[in-house]
Amino acid sequence: MTSLSPTDLAIRYGFLLLMAGMIVVFSVLKPAFLSPQSAVFILQSVAITGILALGVTATLVVDGFDLSIGAVATSAMMLSAYVMVIWEMGALTAVVLCLLMGAAVGLINGLLIVKMRVPDLLATLGMMFLLVGLQRIPTAGNSISTGMVLADGRTATGTFAPEFLMLGRHRIDFILPDLVPLSVVVLVVIAVLTWVFLELTRHGRVMYAIGSNAQAAALAGINVAGYRVLAYVISGVMASLGGILLAARLGRGDVASGNNLLLDAVAAALIGFAVLGAAKPNAFGTAVGALFVGILLQGLTMLNAPYYTQDFIKGAVLVVALVFTFALSGRSGRARR
Amino acid sequence: MAAQSITVRGLSKAFGRNTVLRGVDLDLPAGQVTALMGANGAGKSTLVKILCGVHAADAGEVRLDGRPFSPSGPAAALRQGVVTVHQNINDGVVPDLDVASNLLLDNLAEGGGLFLNRRRMRAEAERIADAVGLKIDVTRPVAGLPLADRQLVAIARAMAHRPRLLILDEPTSSLSLAEAQRLFALIDRLRQEGVAILYISHRMSDIRRLADRIVSMRDGQVSGLFEGKPLDYSGAVRAMLGHEITEVDITIPPPGAPMFEARGLRLKPEAQPFDLVLRRNEVVALTGLVGSGKSALAEVLYGIAAPEAGDMRLDGAPYRPQRPAQAVAAGVFLAAKDRLINSVIPQFDIQQNLTLPFTARHSGPLGLIRRAAERAAAERTIAAMGVVCQGPRDGILTLSGGNQQKVVVGRWMAEASRLLILDEPFQGVDIQARRDIGRRIRESAFDRATLVLCAEIDEALEVADRILVMSEHTIVGAHRNESIDLARLMAEVAGAADRTKEPA
Amino acid sequence: MISRRTFAALAASVALAPSLALAQDAPAPFDNPGQVNIALVRYLSTGDFFQAYLSGVEKQAAALGVNLQVFDSRQDAALQADMVDQAIALGVDGIIIQHGLTESMKEAAQRAVDAGIKVVAFDVNVENPKIPQIEQSDRDLARLALEAALADNGNSFVAGYVYVPGIAPLDRRDETWKKVKADNPGINEVAMFGTLDNPIANSVANQARSVLSANPNIQVMFAPYDEFAKGVKIAVDEAGMSGQVSIYSADISTADIQLMREPGSAWKATAATNPAVVGEVSVRALAMLLAGEDPGPQVIVPPTLITQAMLNELDIKNMEELGAKLPAFAHADVAMTPWMKLPPR
Repeated sequence: MTSLSPTDLAIRYGFLLLMAGMIVVFSVLKPAFLSPQSAVFILQSVAITGILALGVTATLVVDGFDLSIGAVATSAMMLSAYVMVIWEMGALTAVVLCLLMGAAVGLINGLLIVKMRVPDLLATLGMMFLLVGLQRIPTAGNSISTGMVLADGRTATGTFAPEFLMLGRHRIDFILPDLVPLSVVVLVVIAVLTWVFLELTRHGRVMYAIGSNAQAAALAGINVAGYRVLAYVISGVMASLGGILLAARLGRGDVASGNNLLLDAVAAALIGFAVLGAAKPNAFGTAVGALFVGILLQGLTMLNAPYYTQDFIKGAVLVVALVFTFALSGRSGRARR
Repeated sequence: MAAQSITVRGLSKAFGRNTVLRGVDLDLPAGQVTALMGANGAGKSTLVKILCGVHAADAGEVRLDGRPFSPSGPAAALRQGVVTVHQNINDGVVPDLDVASNLLLDNLAEGGGLFLNRRRMRAEAERIADAVGLKIDVTRPVAGLPLADRQLVAIARAMAHRPRLLILDEPTSSLSLAEAQRLFALIDRLRQEGVAILYISHRMSDIRRLADRIVSMRDGQVSGLFEGKPLDYSGAVRAMLGHEITEVDITIPPPGAPMFEARGLRLKPEAQPFDLVLRRNEVVALTGLVGSGKSALAEVLYGIAAPEAGDMRLDGAPYRPQRPAQAVAAGVFLAAKDRLINSVIPQFDIQQNLTLPFTARHSGPLGLIRRAAERAAAERTIAAMGVVCQGPRDGILTLSGGNQQKVVVGRWMAEASRLLILDEPFQGVDIQARRDIGRRIRESAFDRATLVLCAEIDEALEVADRILVMSEHTIVGAHRNESIDLARLMAEVAGAADRTKEPA
Repeated sequence: MISRRTFAALAASVALAPSLALAQDAPAPFDNPGQVNIALVRYLSTGDFFQAYLSGVEKQAAALGVNLQVFDSRQDAALQADMVDQAIALGVDGIIIQHGLTESMKEAAQRAVDAGIKVVAFDVNVENPKIPQIEQSDRDLARLALEAALADNGNSFVAGYVYVPGIAPLDRRDETWKKVKADNPGINEVAMFGTLDNPIANSVANQARSVLSANPNIQVMFAPYDEFAKGVKIAVDEAGMSGQVSIYSADISTADIQLMREPGSAWKATAATNPAVVGEVSVRALAMLLAGEDPGPQVIVPPTLITQAMLNELDIKNMEELGAKLPAFAHADVAMTPWMKLPPR
């Protein structure tokens, strides 16, 4: 263990090296890539999927999976718009209601899985469909924006509260004036909190034990069901937080399934398995995975690469990351089960 | 009548470095039930898998009615008349299909016509079901049948092949008494028809009822063959469990006050109730065959299952845990058997595995783990248990089996307990690790009650002050570990002490 | 069955009694419109545009007093074809096919025609001379928006373009963009990007931010789909470039009006056909066929240019006010006959 073979080194640092190489290549091809604004923008573009990915990481840790995060995010977006535009309530109410909605969805997911014994993929898939439909019901399928005509003929006069929009648009002076958007601050705070929770607290430790061998964890006196539910609540709250930031950026309630948010978030979390050779879900890896995708897309867009090549490259990165995780580091302990 | 249906000579098999069968010789005469006994890991299942064509032997020869028999796979074995009903019932049936399709499944799999003639299928299926006394609607799906009927379907399906050898692997483990009687009647009929039957079971009552001969296996070899009435059941058990003289001198300390008391504890509806008193500063071993109820008792004590009846007290206070967390909080710890399934967290290092049940004691506000305290605790246990490793951050799977076992046992000895239950703590470990673990159990026992569950009598003799024997889910014997009457102990394990009446 | 149908007709005629008085000169079968059943078979349905289209169809059907049944295949091409057969089996008099794939709809549409049912198709070519095509002219949409861009910025500027190939209306808008570029060599397209990742505005915003930081000299963004334009506007705002970049787009919604009217908004103009009007025209064209009149092989709904200045001047806040204050947007004078009853304004 003391001296690392080349393979071990590749497993441990390969992905970070790849990321550094990518930054160098993009900077040479497009000097504008290497500016503070560009760096901050990459963070902003991954803020929402990054937060979702950190949530799904919590469910991956207990050997679960949450397919409903994209739908939770877009539902939170619709809910916040509904609260402010149609009910004409304030930013705080909107944020609190959205987070409660996310927690409630997570709780239902968790209870379906733990108490009703519905397999995780199926329970959260059902929840995803349910939410995609539910978010359209109050407005009969329309997007929500100020000035829209309601079912009773009134015109909606509420607006997005400025404090709410700040979450997506306000910028903080950092090195340069008006540089860092609040959403990036939120991402960084959430990433650090998730990392501390999973790596440094006993709750995170116990969740990893459940994911690795649930039976052994139960026999060690751990409340396995409780922690499983907790993981889905974390995932739901994070997803709703992502939805709040999305609404604050777009400034309206968009009808959307959120499937791309889900896929990007899951990709980030899975790429995270490969970072530092962890071979397991982890908060640091997830953050790096999200950043990796963000850098890649930023660079490719700057180079005018069309969207389908970007999807292709995103997929290729994911496959490579999974090979790193499962084939190369499979010898030292498997990631799941 | 005593035609040799199957003869096995010098059969050997190894999986990698692990030698499982070492030159097994075995005869299975037609028209007789041969009971096969052996502890876990003795090689029974490997032997069965070679006979039914799942594995190929490395060396040795099997003859069926004098002709060499080396099936290329289960289907080939079946065609030649070797039929196996596995322990897991669902291996023998397809739950989603109806009874008729199940009964004719092998014919379907063999091919033939493209289309199914429903009426002919049904008539044929009814004929087969009739032959084993199975009276059910053959159009019902198997998934809707009770377990015993499913098993009869599996056997009936096997019988359609006019078998020469029928292998039954623990067939009664999930049957009720009445259901088992029905199976026994069927076995009697087949015996009369001249089928050779290999009956694998841990249940002495089954063996008493059915066996014409008993073969005991131990460490991949046949360790005893018993024929002729009356059969020597205790001898068979002794041959299966073995007993090498081990020079461990146990000095029995004066036992302390009762720590755990159970009155009228009943583990299964049909089992006899029993009392149990475990004292401070006393190591009690509980021995008995697989399925005798040792693990069922551990589950009750640890809050995994509720007893049928009975009253439990811990340190004088009523004790009735609903789940493991409550047992742990009350100071009752269980080091479970089968460590890779029940104990080891493969992703974790040694330290994390050691502290798993007690993370709360190593963490501060907000649940933040105090790394230094955790590491110090881990290093203490590593030293006390004699775990051979580079350091507490080594991955658990880098350790040998014995050292892994030291970790998952040591996990529960790092904190003070009132009652420590160790279920098969010596499972799959070498002799040195066994000594280390046993020494550690004894030297730390002064402040708690200790209950060690082990099927091997040697292990019980090495570790215990007192040895209890369990059979049919009740305690049938108690021995102070000084000048033990081994013959009596073996007889109790074999169930000789209980009802000797034979069913008519 | 018969009695229920008669009852429904009776109920409808009672409800429509006031307008019946004016409809005496309507030709058969609209002298007794409660007996007329039409079906709308949809391929695309989610989103503001399709929602508004449906409301137009519903309003015009109600104005005529005919019974409307809506089939929604939710982007399932095979299901949409089955739904046409279902409508045939139900014995409807007319069918509107809304979007879909030529390959899957061609034969289903022919079966409907063979069954004596009148059919019109919106935005899908079913290759059938008996079926009139309702179209919003995507080429005209792009042309109007680009004319505005040329008028505002002269015929020489640095441009970014949002485009996803393979989507029929976007492809038609792209043809016009190529042509305008060829006619105006001063237009320098430095970036082309685009995605349909959902939510589209968010994904396009991410891309547009990258494009703007790579090409800070962009003056005009041509985003010929309002979801694209929303994304570009978010990126322009975030980059603090709204004083320098102008956005020209196609399509409109209440939310779009709000965005265009934000102080200092970069979104200067959009060309749009009112989807509700397209829905109304679809029903009217079908009604003409049912009355034995010929709407022509192609019914084109002309677009309107809506500029930021126009919206501010007339203080238009939502789609309803847009319709009320900009008559060209509220009604298209196509597929009209003297007897045609229009929805109330």
